[in-house]
Amino acid sequence: MVSLTRLPRVLLRRKFLCRHVATHKVKPALSISNEVQNTFKFADLSVQLASPDQLQPKPEVADLQFGKYFTDHMLKILYHESLGGWQRPEIIPFENIVLHPAAKVLHYATELFEGMKAYRGVDGKIRIFRPEMNMERMNQTALRAGLPTFDGANLIKCLCRLISIDQEWVPHSESSSLYIRPTLIGIDPTLGVAACASAMLYTILCPVGAYFSGAGESAVSLLADPQFTRAWPGGCGDKKMGSNYAPTIHVQREALGQGLQQVLWLYGEDHLITEVGTMNIFMFCINESGEKELVTPPLDGLILPGITRASILQLSREWNEFRVSERSIPMAELVSLLSENRLLELFGAGTACVVSPIASISYKGEKLLIPTVEQKYPIYAKFRRTLTDIQYGHVSHPWAVTVDV
Amino acid sequence: MAQNLVTKLYRISVIGAARNKPYVVPSVKAVTYSTSTQQDSGAVKNSDAVKSVFISQSNDIFTNLALEDWLYKNFNFINHHILLLWRNSPAVVIGRHQNPWLEVNTSVLSEHGIEIARRNSGGGTVYHDNGNLNLTFFTPREHYNRKNNLQLINRALIREWGLKTEISPREDIVISGGYKQISGTAAKLGRPNAYHHCTLLVSVDKEKLKHALHKHHKGIKTNATQSIPSPVMNLCDVNSHVTVEKLLSTIGWEYLRTCPYTAEDRGKDFIMKQRGFQFINPTDQWFPGLDKLRAELTSWDWRFGKSPKFNVTRTFQVPQELLGKEELRNEELSITIDVNKGMVEDVMLMVPPGLKAANGFSGQAQVVTSLKGQRFSEEAVTILQKALSELESPEQTRNEFVVDCVRTSILALEDEKSN
Repeated sequence: MVSLTRLPRVLLRRKFLCRHVATHKVKPALSISNEVQNTFKFADLSVQLASPDQLQPKPEVADLQFGKYFTDHMLKILYHESLGGWQRPEIIPFENIVLHPAAKVLHYATELFEGMKAYRGVDGKIRIFRPEMNMERMNQTALRAGLPTFDGANLIKCLCRLISIDQEWVPHSESSSLYIRPTLIGIDPTLGVAACASAMLYTILCPVGAYFSGAGESAVSLLADPQFTRAWPGGCGDKKMGSNYAPTIHVQREALGQGLQQVLWLYGEDHLITEVGTMNIFMFCINESGEKELVTPPLDGLILPGITRASILQLSREWNEFRVSERSIPMAELVSLLSENRLLELFGAGTACVVSPIASISYKGEKLLIPTVEQKYPIYAKFRRTLTDIQYGHVSHPWAVTVDV
Repeated sequence: MAQNLVTKLYRISVIGAARNKPYVVPSVKAVTYSTSTQQDSGAVKNSDAVKSVFISQSNDIFTNLALEDWLYKNFNFINHHILLLWRNSPAVVIGRHQNPWLEVNTSVLSEHGIEIARRNSGGGTVYHDNGNLNLTFFTPREHYNRKNNLQLINRALIREWGLKTEISPREDIVISGGYKQISGTAAKLGRPNAYHHCTLLVSVDKEKLKHALHKHHKGIKTNATQSIPSPVMNLCDVNSHVTVEKLLSTIGWEYLRTCPYTAEDRGKDFIMKQRGFQFINPTDQWFPGLDKLRAELTSWDWRFGKSPKFNVTRTFQVPQELLGKEELRNEELSITIDVNKGMVEDVMLMVPPGLKAANGFSGQAQVVTSLKGQRFSEEAVTILQKALSELESPEQTRNEFVVDCVRTSILALEDEKSN
C-alpha cells in the first residue's frame, strides 16, 4: 500500500474536495505541517489485554442505548512537552481517569472530541467510515484549543487495533455498530489560561444495537428560538469542542419542556438556520427556477463541518439529479417556501442516525408543519440507504475501509 | 473529471444478507487498513493468525451447545482462532451416535432436574456441572490439532500450580502416575471449520456423576457408540487451590501465548498481539439464528430420536399371586421392544400360560397396538395403561403388572426381580 506522507495527502484531498466546495471560506490551517513532526506512532503501540475478571458482561441487545455501555478496553496516549511531546500509545483495560484538581480541562474546558462509527458489515467484517476526515477535523480543533496535533494515519491504525480487540461488542445481527469517541483533554496541573504542555488523547467505544441506530425513524419536532445562539462569527462553533455543547443543554431542556424534541439553532437578525440539535441541516425544495434544489448552510465559521454532511454533498454532486447549493437559509425563506408548497423536505444529518427527518418547527409562536415524511420518494431516505449500504458493506466503496488486524 | 473518477471507484457487489444465513465473504477486494507489524505492508500473512478467548455468559447446556454450533457454522476462523470456555448447570451430554437409554439413568436425572443433551460431535457420555470447565478450540480444518491443544492445557496446569498431567493413548488428560482421568475429549471436523472440545473436572459432584452415569444391564442391544467408563478425579482433589475461575483464566492466558500452529510457547510478549478475552452473551439478538439451533437441540427428536436402531429385551418373574394355580411357579413374562429413531417399531410380548389362563391377562394385542408408533418414553406407558383399563377383563392387577413391566423396560429402570 503506497504511503503518502501527510502533507501531500492533505493537499490532494483539498484539491479533490475544493472542486465541490463552492464557498469554502475557512482558511486552511497553515501550521499543521509543522506540528506533524511530533506525533505518536502506531509501531510503538503496547497492548495490555484485560483479564476475565476485568471484563464487563454483555447486556441484551435491546439495552444497547447510545452511550450507555462501553467496551472492555481503551486507547490512551499522553503528551508531555517536557518529555519531548507525544508518548507511546497504549491499549489498556477500561479504567477511570485520575486528574490533578488544577487540570486545565476542568477549568477552561480545554477539550475536544470526535464521533465516528465502525460497522459490522453483511460479511461479518468491521468497517470504518471515512476516518481520515475525522482526523483532519480533530487536528484543526486541536490547533484552535491550544492542544497538541498529531498524525491522523497513526491514530487510525491505533483505533483499528482497539476496534479489533473489542469487536465482539458489536452484535452479529444487521445494523449494529460501534460508536468511537476519541477525546483530547488538557491535563496541565497549573491554573492559567495558556496552551497545554500536557495532554491526554484517549478513545472509548460504545456498542450501538440495531434498535437505536435508527434514531431518526420518526420525524422530529423542533424549537426555533432566536434568543439562543449556538455559534457566532469569529467564534469556534465550527470546531468540535466540548465547550460548544454544555450551553446547549439548557436550551434542549426548554424544547423538551415545550413538548418538542430538538433545537433548531438560528443566528443573527435574519434568523439564519444553522444546525439542528447536534447535526447539520439540509433543505430540499423547488427553487425560483422551478428546479429541485438541495441547500445547506456554508462552512463560514458557524457550522460544524460534518462528515455525513460532506458525504451527502458529494453524493448529490455525483448523482447530478438536482441542484446543490451551500448558502445561508433565513427563516423567512423557509416560511415563504412552505407557504408556496415549494418546501419538500427538511432533515438533519449526523453520524449517530445518518439522517433525521423533521416534522415541524415551532417558531414565533407558530407551528410550521414540514412535509418531509409525506414525500413519495424522499431524498433523505435515499441518502440514508446509500450511506448505510456503503457502511455495512452491501456495496464496495472506498469510503468504508475494513479493519483487518 | 473528479466525478468520473469517483464513479469508477463505485463498484457494486451485492452480497446476500438474509438473517440466519452464514456470512458470505465478498469477492470484491475492498480497501483495508492493515496493522500488521511490518510497516506499510498490505495483506495479513498466514503466520499472523490472532487468537481470542470467548467466555460464555450462559449456564444452559442447550444455549452453549447452540453457541458452539453457531460459531462452527458461521464464523470465519482464517487468521482468527478461538477458544470458547463454557460452564453448565448440571446436565448429561451424550455423543452424536449414542443411545441415551443405554448411557444414562433417566429416572435419576428427572429426579434431580438434570438435563439430557446430545452434542454434535461423537464420543462418549459426560456429566457436566458448575465444577466442570468446557473448552472448545476452533480453527480452520487444516489447522486442527488435538494434541497441541491438550499439551497447552498440560503446560497451563504446570505453570500455575505445578500440576503434572499426561496425555493418555486415548487422548484424555490424566493425572501423572494415577491414571485417573480429569478430562474427556471429542471433535468435529468439517469444511471449512473444525473444533476440538474437551472438559476439565475441577470440582464436579462425583456422587451425582456416578449416579447419573451408572450403567446396569438394561437388556439393550445396539450398535450405538458405547461409553467406556473410566475412573475420574477432580483437579481440586489434587491441588485445593484450583478453582474453575482461576483455571479459566490460566488456560486462557496460556492459549493466548501459544503459537497458533504449533504447541510452541511464544512467551508473554506474544500475548500483546492477540485479541484477548471477551464475554459472549449467547442470545438470538447477538447471534441471529441461535434460537433456531437451540430449539433443535432441545427437541425430543434430536435428543432421543437420533439414536441408532436398538431393541430392548427384559424378562420378569410373574408374582405368585397373579398365577392361577398353585403348581405354576417361576413363570416369566418377556418383552422385546424394537426401537428406531426413538419410536417403537415393534413389540413382542411372551405371556406365560399361567398368566393367560381363564380370567387372566388378555390384553396382549392391546400392548402391541398401543405401543407401536409411540415415542419410546413414559408417554407410551401412559397410553398403554389407558388402553388396558378399557378392557372388559376385571383383572386389573394383572394389567398393572404388565404395565409395570413395560414401564421398567422403557425407562430402563433397575429391577431387582429381573436377571
